[in-house]
Amino acid sequence: MSFPDQNKAAVAMPHLAEETPVRHWFYRPYFQVSVSILLSAAAQIFLKIGADESAGTAALGFSGLHSAWVWLGIVAVVASLLSWLYSLRFIPLNIAANLAGAIHVLVPLASWIFLGEKISASRWFGIFLVVAGVVIIARPLLKMEERL
Amino acid sequence: MTAASLLLIFLARVCASAGQIFFKKAMCVRDGEARSKGAASFCCGIVVMAVGFFLWLGLLNKFPLSYLYPFEGIDHILLVVGASIFLKERATPGIWLGVLLISAGVVFVSAN
Repeated sequence: MSFPDQNKAAVAMPHLAEETPVRHWFYRPYFQVSVSILLSAAAQIFLKIGADESAGTAALGFSGLHSAWVWLGIVAVVASLLSWLYSLRFIPLNIAANLAGAIHVLVPLASWIFLGEKISASRWFGIFLVVAGVVIIARPLLKMEERL
Repeated sequence: MTAASLLLIFLARVCASAGQIFFKKAMCVRDGEARSKGAASFCCGIVVMAVGFFLWLGLLNKFPLSYLYPFEGIDHILLVVGASIFLKERATPGIWLGVLLISAGVVFVSAN
């Protein structure tokens, strides 16, 4: 039993056609994929702060293990992977992976805001292109978020 | 920059994308299928990603990051192609447009 507009959605996105129970917001795939992307970007910033704090002389970065920031980064990486794998159960890879393109925007922006790094004009242009691409892919999904 | 290095760069990116395809397969094992099938896909994903990681590490040793990083942009294109071949995911024109913008954007963000 389905309504006409649901049928249209099912044709456009076959993965939405299956019967899905109403989930608690925490278990919604698009919430988890967002968490995964944010944690992955945050991990880069934590690791950079930790690496600067504990700059060692060794070629490999093991001296970073003394820094709490590095451990925070490691926890963020692992949590991000778990959220990612969970959301892959429900979201097609070609959509999830492209939403993750937002990382290429979040990391430079966070480096600018939290680490005081500079963003060149060509980098701003790249950020604009990535945002445009992610928005184009994400827009049709926002309408159907409730059904996942 | 030799043809061999370009081939290695391409191979490293293929490994990273193939790993994601294996992960997706591992997470989407249906109820009727054996759980070991999912575990096998997961292990393949880990191995392929590890190979790609060490290839990339070796390349980082030879070339500056600002030269190599823009090549990560092709991941998004490889994934859409791979997902439509191996996962039978349909790539709509909207997805293609988005992917091309993201890949171009990655090149501009990372090129120095």
